[in-house]
Amino acid sequence: MKISLNWLKEYIDLEGISIQDIINKLTMSGLEVEDFVNQNEKFKNFIVGYVEENEKHPNADKLTICKVTDGKKSYQVICGAPNVQKGQKVVYAPIGTIIPKGNFEIKKAKIRGVESFGMICAEDELGLGDDYTGIMVLDSNLKVGQKLSDALELNNVIMEIAITPNRPDALSHIGVARDLTALFDKELKIPEVKLNESDIDINDVASIVIEDEENCPRYSARVVTDVKIEESPGWLKQRISGIGLKPVNNIVDITNFVMFECGQPLHAFDLDRLEGKKIIVKSTKGKTKFTTLDSKERELLPDTLMICDDKGDVAIAGIMGGENSEIYQDTKNVLIESAYFNPSSIRRASKHLQMSTDASYRFERGTDPGNTLYAAERTAQLIAKIAGGEIAKGSIDVYPKKIDNKKFILRHNRVNKVLGYKISKQHTLKIFNRLGMKTTELSEDEIEVTVPTFRVDIEREIDLIEEIARISGYDNIPTIPKISISLGLKHDETLFTDRIREYCNALGLYELINNPLQPKHFAALTGNAIEVSNPQSIDMKYLRTSLLSGVLNVVTRNLNRGEKNLALFEIGNIFNLKKGKKVVSSFNDFDEEEILIFVLTGNKIEREWYSDTESFNFYDIKGMVNSFIDKISLDNLLNDSYYTTDNSIYEYYLTKFFKDRVIGNGGKVKDHVLKQFDIDQDVYCFEFNLDALKEIPVVSKKYAELLRYPRIILDFAFIFDKETKFEDVSEFIKNKGSKLLKYVNVFDIFESKEIGDNKKSIAFQLEYYDSSRTLTENEVEKDFENLIKLVSKKFNAKLRGN
Amino acid sequence: MLAQNTDKVNIDFLKDLSGVKNADDLEQIRIKYLGRNGVISKLFNQLKHVAIEDKPALGKNLNLLRSEVTSQIEKLKSSFVSQKSKGDLQMDLTLPGKKYQIGSKHILTQTLDEIKSIFKEMGFSVHVGPELESDYNNFEALNFPKNHPARDMQDTFFISKDFLLRTHTSPVQIRLMENMKPPVRAIMPGRVYRNEAVSARSFCMFHQVEGLYVDTDVTFAELKGTLVSFASQFYGEDLKYRFRPSYFPFTEPSAEMDITCFICKGSGCKICKNTGWMEILGCGMVDPNVFENVNYDPEKYTGYAFGMGIERIAMLKYGITDIRIFFENDIRFLKQF
Repeated sequence: MKISLNWLKEYIDLEGISIQDIINKLTMSGLEVEDFVNQNEKFKNFIVGYVEENEKHPNADKLTICKVTDGKKSYQVICGAPNVQKGQKVVYAPIGTIIPKGNFEIKKAKIRGVESFGMICAEDELGLGDDYTGIMVLDSNLKVGQKLSDALELNNVIMEIAITPNRPDALSHIGVARDLTALFDKELKIPEVKLNESDIDINDVASIVIEDEENCPRYSARVVTDVKIEESPGWLKQRISGIGLKPVNNIVDITNFVMFECGQPLHAFDLDRLEGKKIIVKSTKGKTKFTTLDSKERELLPDTLMICDDKGDVAIAGIMGGENSEIYQDTKNVLIESAYFNPSSIRRASKHLQMSTDASYRFERGTDPGNTLYAAERTAQLIAKIAGGEIAKGSIDVYPKKIDNKKFILRHNRVNKVLGYKISKQHTLKIFNRLGMKTTELSEDEIEVTVPTFRVDIEREIDLIEEIARISGYDNIPTIPKISISLGLKHDETLFTDRIREYCNALGLYELINNPLQPKHFAALTGNAIEVSNPQSIDMKYLRTSLLSGVLNVVTRNLNRGEKNLALFEIGNIFNLKKGKKVVSSFNDFDEEEILIFVLTGNKIEREWYSDTESFNFYDIKGMVNSFIDKISLDNLLNDSYYTTDNSIYEYYLTKFFKDRVIGNGGKVKDHVLKQFDIDQDVYCFEFNLDALKEIPVVSKKYAELLRYPRIILDFAFIFDKETKFEDVSEFIKNKGSKLLKYVNVFDIFESKEIGDNKKSIAFQLEYYDSSRTLTENEVEKDFENLIKLVSKKFNAKLRGN
Repeated sequence: MLAQNTDKVNIDFLKDLSGVKNADDLEQIRIKYLGRNGVISKLFNQLKHVAIEDKPALGKNLNLLRSEVTSQIEKLKSSFVSQKSKGDLQMDLTLPGKKYQIGSKHILTQTLDEIKSIFKEMGFSVHVGPELESDYNNFEALNFPKNHPARDMQDTFFISKDFLLRTHTSPVQIRLMENMKPPVRAIMPGRVYRNEAVSARSFCMFHQVEGLYVDTDVTFAELKGTLVSFASQFYGEDLKYRFRPSYFPFTEPSAEMDITCFICKGSGCKICKNTGWMEILGCGMVDPNVFENVNYDPEKYTGYAFGMGIERIAMLKYGITDIRIFFENDIRFLKQF
């Protein structure tokens, strides 16, 4: 919210306090000054100039050569505005001036062959208005050569203050001034209202009925008759435009002025356009349509609080008035509405209508129910003063259940317990009093604090403690550089995934992080996707059901950028609706699981002086998966299944089971899946369900005695039928071999014409040992010869001669 | 008998070895002594005929012989090999080494790891919670009533009436406190979502670390102490800081912590909007309403909570100006860290 320093000074004496000090104190007490403009600084170089002569530029139709004087010296200035005339007083920017719009410096220039020394400015270039059609022509009474800031009283500081949602009381100049009185220990000066009333009794010309008391606890009104709708006087326009509002007419400007003065939103109705001269406050029953004063027809929810007259709706309460009752040029009699509405009712309606107005913004945060009458009278006073007219006698104030000031007990010891330091009682009392709260000392430790109705955020003792802390300054709270030791058990639920990341790095994989929000065709690829009901775009409408589509998209992006060799991993959550569920109405309706995915594509080794190119294949991903499993000590607990027939994602793949549960799955991604991602090279992926992995009880490691006797290693090779599987043979050998056979590995495999079509050769290496003695060659030999016979027979295989 | 044979074999072997001139000669010797039907194998076969009491000593000698022969042969073999390479190729040691790839963690993970390790040393546990949360855990239990303007501070992606994508990691506080009695001291890292337009400065998804400490005598002064200690370990010893009052529904009093802008060192720049300060985290004393929601006695216990965005910290620390690059996963970006 924009706050004007000059305006603030009407309510507090800030004489002798620097701007920087004010800004710092506000920021450090919770009213954060995000930005500020010091007009003195901004306009320091501009001066009031006088156009002595003007003639057409010889080389350009639209340019004029002017002679501008600052009273001492004349300057030649080229001007492009159509309205420049000899004899005008104008805003002259000499060389070296920084122009606010565009933030550029004026330099000596040659325009179409003619030199120009400075610039004559338009309103928008100065940031003083929107007009860019011509130069700003100044009042002819101004003194030539005078500083513009002095001439136009542009000596203000405009601050942009971020008001947190708990502080609606600070959404006005008086509100901000009140905090300043506490910060600088000053008096708050609230404008006094004295009204000259006419003989017309307000009750004879208007009436008000509240039907929905819950949502409209108070409605105050004043009537001013015989007003004249005109442009506002200069001072008012300046106040209003200074904080970024557009002046409209005197009545509207006054209601805005009072709102930004004291925080109470006001609405001015044309009394004569109110049917029956009556206001009824009630909520809509069904769905209704209503045309607001911006000429838009809007659909309202049932139970929307409305302001009505005898005939129908005239305003959406607290949000915007209607076309049918607004002030217009011929308005004579005005009814000023100053009400207190239930914040959540206004918020609900404003959310639904997606309308946030200065009024609704305040109402939904909570205005002061105690201040409605004051605001109505302050408005009436200003209308009578500025727009003429007479204030009808009396006010209407419907306030069925008075909202009282709240009272809370503050314990000084509690302040100490929460903040960790002692603050003097005297100082505490002063803070509360400056903030408009009355205090009564009850005992040594306790005081009773009466909190006025404008402080909607103060509802408990802790809220009072916050007031003390923020006004006396957080900087005054000591910083204790120690933390007490707690000997309880420490957990780290991220330890497992941290370890996994380390192993993935050791495998040469880089971690990626994807956005889980995806378009439908990605999410639907692998599961029963959950939809976001208010997405930002259709590209982010669904939650991912696996990590696969996300990583394939990353592959695509890298390929498009010429990066073709990728070895990546991701750890992230996936979301699936459970079978038969359509919506998420409990945690039982969906699964959120943590998944790890490996991705390999392109070349594992590029062409090098020591090696030829080698691309990733199935055995790379299988090898990584197994090394990983080994590292997390699950190598003996999981079972593998291989599938050479495709599923919806993979052309061929490997599945890891723990008992009956699938723990991981992956292989070569099918071409038609890759096609959807515009990928034209092989991609291998493997996904692990980390939640499932974490649940497998790991057998804790025990030291195994190191082998002290020699191993005997023998090898043989057979020619098999081509369809023979390595694992069938190796399992067979392991089963049939003696107890001394400890390990079977494959070290060579090939096919060739010489060994025959549909044949392949597999060479095995067998490792024998006993942990308690040295083996004799004989006993190993015997087993080895036996295996040769058994394998030959079982697999119809032929031993290859050496 | 066997003992004498053993000695003889040893002498013969040394004699044969002295006559070796090349690798082929050596291979012949290897087959002669170590082959499957070689001299030493035969000696082992004789072992079964000797008296039982002599077996251990003789066996030991035989094994010694075999290992001695093996090592002599290997030694000579390697000398042939290195002679050969010296002869054939003058090694060019300036050739590049073979490439080995060690992967890396995402820079956001690395940043989080650094934050985690600082707080773990201070005695904080680490806990996590789900991303698809209930409205209750994400808002209501944290003192954001329905239809309250405070909810505007966090634009939310809704899944249904009562479920949403969590907008902060604070619901993990609720889960934690519902499941354990004080003292509680934990940090809670995780992914959060905000329904904000994607731009260079903001993304619809990002990461936070939440902190919580509840015990009988936790004060605001300690909160300041802990966070100042964290910030000076993370950002550097000579750090200037300030705590500024702010508002979060689940803490009271609430604060934001600023440190000197490390782009302009406090003199004012575009990044810090000319204030010279940079906000790094939000914090405060746990609101009594939150304690009541998790059945902690707010008279007995006090506590503090804090939260910070990891992307923001990483951007400042590594000079990244566009948040979107974190989630593009360009391999050239991933390999930089």
